[in-house]
Amino acid sequence: MKASTQILKVACLGSFAIVLALWIAYGTLSTVSGTDVASDSGEPVATAVNPDDYVGSESCRACHEDQFKGFDDTKHAKIGNLPEWKNKAQGCESCHGPGAGHLEDATDKTKIVSFKGKNSKQVSETCLTCHAGKESHNNFRRGEHWRNDVGCTECHTAHGSVLADYKVGSGTFAGDASAQNAPRAVNAMLKAAEPQLCMTCHTETKAQFSKPFHHKVLEGTMTCSDCHNAHGGFEAKQTKMAVGADASCIKCHSDKQGPFVFEHGPVKTEGCSACHTPHGSNNPKMLVRSQVRQLCLECHSALPNSDGGAPQAPHNQSTSRYQNCTTCHTRIHGSNAHKFFFR
Amino acid sequence: MFALKSKPYFKIGRLALAIGVTALSAVTGTAQSGGGEDKSADTGDYKITSSIEIGGRFRKVDGSENKFRSDLNYRTGFRVFDSSFLIESKDPKKDLMDSMLIQSSGWGADPSGYTRINAERLGVYRFDSNFRQVRYFNNLNNFAAGQHKHNTSHLFGDFDLKLRPQSEKLRFLVGGSFNRTKGPGTTNGRAYRDDWQADSEYNYRSKDLRAGIEGKVLGFNLGVTQGFRGFTDRTRYFLTEPTLGNNTTDNTRITSWFREFPIDGSSYFTMLNAHRTFAEKVDFTGQYVYSSTSTINPMLEVIIGRDNNNNQIDRDEFRIDGDAKRIQQRGNLGFTFMLTDKFSISETFSWDSFTINGGENLIERVFSRTSAGAPRPDQYINSYAFRTTDYRRYMNLVEGDYQFSKRLSMHVGYKYTDRRATLWGIDRTVTSPTSGTNPLLHEEVENNDTNSVIAGMKMKPMKRWVVYWDVEKGDADNIFTRTGNYKFTNFRVRSRLSLDKIGWSASVITKDNLNPTLTDEAVPRSFGTDVNTRIYSTALDWTPATMFNLSTGYTYTHMTASTAIIVPVGTPRLQGVSRYFIRDNHYYLDATVKPNKYISFFGAYRISKDLGQGDRTANNIENITSSYPMSFQSPEVRVALRIHRNADFNVGYQYFKYGEKFQTLQDYRAHLPSISVRLFFGNPDR
Repeated sequence: MKASTQILKVACLGSFAIVLALWIAYGTLSTVSGTDVASDSGEPVATAVNPDDYVGSESCRACHEDQFKGFDDTKHAKIGNLPEWKNKAQGCESCHGPGAGHLEDATDKTKIVSFKGKNSKQVSETCLTCHAGKESHNNFRRGEHWRNDVGCTECHTAHGSVLADYKVGSGTFAGDASAQNAPRAVNAMLKAAEPQLCMTCHTETKAQFSKPFHHKVLEGTMTCSDCHNAHGGFEAKQTKMAVGADASCIKCHSDKQGPFVFEHGPVKTEGCSACHTPHGSNNPKMLVRSQVRQLCLECHSALPNSDGGAPQAPHNQSTSRYQNCTTCHTRIHGSNAHKFFFR
Repeated sequence: MFALKSKPYFKIGRLALAIGVTALSAVTGTAQSGGGEDKSADTGDYKITSSIEIGGRFRKVDGSENKFRSDLNYRTGFRVFDSSFLIESKDPKKDLMDSMLIQSSGWGADPSGYTRINAERLGVYRFDSNFRQVRYFNNLNNFAAGQHKHNTSHLFGDFDLKLRPQSEKLRFLVGGSFNRTKGPGTTNGRAYRDDWQADSEYNYRSKDLRAGIEGKVLGFNLGVTQGFRGFTDRTRYFLTEPTLGNNTTDNTRITSWFREFPIDGSSYFTMLNAHRTFAEKVDFTGQYVYSSTSTINPMLEVIIGRDNNNNQIDRDEFRIDGDAKRIQQRGNLGFTFMLTDKFSISETFSWDSFTINGGENLIERVFSRTSAGAPRPDQYINSYAFRTTDYRRYMNLVEGDYQFSKRLSMHVGYKYTDRRATLWGIDRTVTSPTSGTNPLLHEEVENNDTNSVIAGMKMKPMKRWVVYWDVEKGDADNIFTRTGNYKFTNFRVRSRLSLDKIGWSASVITKDNLNPTLTDEAVPRSFGTDVNTRIYSTALDWTPATMFNLSTGYTYTHMTASTAIIVPVGTPRLQGVSRYFIRDNHYYLDATVKPNKYISFFGAYRISKDLGQGDRTANNIENITSSYPMSFQSPEVRVALRIHRNADFNVGYQYFKYGEKFQTLQDYRAHLPSISVRLFFGNPDR
C-alpha cells in the first residue's frame, strides 16, 4: 500500500475520533453534574444528594448481617475514615446509594441501588467511579474482559473474601490454593487465588502449564498477573510491559534484552512467542517445534538475497551436525560480536 | 565439565528464608492467646490467621536422571511445603499496619520457591514484594545434539512501595526489582570449519529502580514513572580439556580456548499516563513511554591448537569492541464514548517506534606454524560492522459494544495496522583490499499493513450459565518471518455454569493461519504455510458437601502445521515440507475427602499424552515430519491426620512416569514420598 493511502487511513480514523470526542463533549459535558451512581431500569439517581440521606453501614447491618460481616474488615468499609474520602466514601452506601429511603421502606426496592438487575458493565462502572485513574486500570474499558462483558465482580468481591477452611491438597501443584491456603485470596479482594481464579474460564491453560517444560505457575512461583494485566492494556494478550517498553519476558530474561549490534529481527518485531510457547510445551526450551532446524527453516527459506536468507549448500541437512542450527548459531537472540550469531 | 551440584550460597539463602518463615510462625504461634468463633487468633493488637507446612521429601528415580531433572528437578531434603500468615490489626489507628500477608512455598528441596509479602496501612502505604527462585536444569540428548546444557539458579524479586495509595490527589511510588542467574552450563565454540562443546559459567544479573508520582490535576488522573535498569553479563566460556571438535574427521584440534565476553547495559525509561472520564460519557486514556537502552562489550577470545589445514596455532586472538543503543517510543490513546446506557464506541490508537544503532570492531591476530613447526607469517585482520534498524508500527482499533439486556451483549470492531522496518548495515574488512563485497552493504525495507475484524458476544441463557464467544479474522503481520501476511481466523467460545455445588466450564478455541505466499527468488517457489489449531477443554468442580470435593478436567489440543521449506542438501537446494503435529490429551482429577475433623484424604491423577504425528513419517530428506509424542503422568495421594488442635501430620506420595515414543533413553519413573507437619495458628475451630 502506498504511503499516501496509509496516511489517509490514519488521518480519517484520527479525525473520526476527534470529531466524535468533540461532539460528545459538546452535547453532554454541560448537562450532567452532581450525579451519583448511574442507574437504569428505574433505579434511583440522586442528582443532588442530601447528606442526611446517608444512614451509615451500621444501619444496614441489622438486616444484612452476612454481607456486613465480611465487608466490615475490608478497605471499602474503612476508607471513609480517611480525611480525603470523608463524605465521599460512605461504607455500604458508597455503592448502594443513600439508604434513608430504604430504611424507611425496605420493601420498596427502588429506594436503594441494587446490583442484581445490572449487567456486568454497569456494575463495573460503579467500581470504576473510584478505581479508574490508576495506570493498571486505565484501559479497562477497552480491554478484552470489558469487551467480552467480564466485569469486576466476576473476579473480585466487593464485600470481602471469605476465608475457606484448610483442606489437604497437592504437595506439588497449587491445585486448589484458595481452599488449601485460605488467606491468599484476600489480596485485592479476589474471589479465589491465582491461578485458579483465571483458570475458571481459561481452562485450557491448566493443560499447558502441566507440560514437561512450563513456567512455574501451577507451582505458585509465578502468577498469571506477572505477565498479564487482567484490567486491560494496550499490548496483545494484555501482556505487561517490562522496563519501559520491552516485552514482559525481558523482566526476568534480562540477558535477552539487548540491544545487540546484530539483532535477530523477529525477536524484536514479532516477539518471543514467534519461537516459544510461553505457557508450556513438550519441546525443550518451550519451542514451538520439536526440532530446532524445523523452527529455523520455516522462516529461513524464502529470502535468499536478504539478511534473513536461506541457509546455503554447506548446511547439508543429511548430516546431523547441521540439523541443530544453534550448535553454531549460539547467540540466536542477538549478538554483539558476530552477524551470524556465532559468538 | 557439566557440574550437577548447586552452589552453597544458594542453599544458605534458602535455608535462611525457611528458618525465617518458621521462626515467624513460632513467634505468632506463641503469641496467640486463645480464639473464639472467629477463625483468627487474638494476639493482643493483632488478629492472626496462619499455617505453615514443613517436612521432607524423598526421591527415587529409575531411568533418565537428566530428563527427570530437566522436567521436574525435585530433590531429597527439607522443604517448606507451604506457609501463609495473615496478620490484621484490630486498631489500625495506632498500629504500623492494617494487615500483612506473608506467603511462602517451595524453599528447600524444591526447584522453585517464593516468598511474597503484602503489607498495608490504609491511606499511608502499601508494600508488595516477592522473592523467588527457580533452579533450572537442562541436560537433554535430543536438543541441539545434547549441547547447550544448564544447571543454573535464577533468583528474582520485586519490591514496590506506594505511599498514600488511596489518595486521589497525590500518590508516590518507589520500586525495585532484581534478577540474578548463576551456574554452570555448556555452550559451543566455533573455528576452522569445526565446532566444539565448551563449558560456561553463567553469571548475569539486572537491577531495576523505579519511582513515580500519580495524582489528579484539573480532573485528569496523571502519572509519571521514571525507571532505570542496569544489567551485566559476566558469563565465562572455556574449555577444560582438548577436543577434536564435533567433526572428528578433519584436522582441527583445539587444545585451549576461552572467551571473556563481559556485557554492561543500562536502560532508562519514562512513562507518562493520563486518564479522565468526562461526565461519565467519554473515557480517555493516554500513555507515552520513552526508553533508551544501551550496551557495551569488550570481547576477548583466544584459541590454541591446530587448524583445519593442519597448521599449529600458537595463538589465535580475537578482540571485539562492540556497543549498541536502542531508542524506543511507544504511545497509546484510548477513547470510549458511552453514547447511551447500552451503546458505546471505543477507539484505540497505538504506535511503537524504535531505532537500534550498533557497531563492532574486530582485531584478530594469528600466530602460527606449519605442521612441521616452521614459523608462518603473523596474520593481522581488522574489520568493522555497523547496523541500524528503524522500526515503526501503527495500530488502530475501532470497536462498538451494545448491551441488549443484562443477559445479552455483543461487540464488533475493526483493526488496522501499518508497519515499516528498515535495516541498513555495512561490513568492511580494513586489512583486505576493496572489492565488490568489501565493503558489503546491507539494505532491506519491509512495509506491510493488515486489516482484521473482531466480533464477540456474551449470552446468559440462564441466571447462572454464561456463554462467551469471540472471533477475529483478517491478516497478521508476519513479514519478518514470512514474505506476506498470514490470513488468520481465531475463534473461541467459553461456557461457564456456576451452581451452588457445581462449577462447570467448557471452551473451544480454533486458530487457522494460512499463508499462501511465494519465495523471493528469480523463479518463485511456494512458501506457503498452513497452521491449524483446535483446543477443546472442560473442567468440573463439584462440592456436594463440605467433606468432599472433586475437580476434574480434560483438554485436547490438536495442532497441524505444514510449511513449505527449502532444504540445503547440496546444489540445488531441495524444496520440501515441514510438518509438525500435536495431538495432546490432558486429563486431571483431584479429590478431597474429609470424613471427620481428624483425617482427610487427597488424591489426584494427571496425565498428558501426546500422540504426535501418529504413523506419519517423512519419506525423503527434504521433508521433515516431527512431533513430540510422549506420555507424562502423575498420580498423587496425601493423608492428613489431626494430631493436635494446632497441628496436622501429613503423609504423601507422588509418582511421575515419563515415556517417549521414539526413544526410551529419556524415560523415567520417579517416586516422591513425603512427610510433613502443618502447624495452624489462629484457626481454633478448624
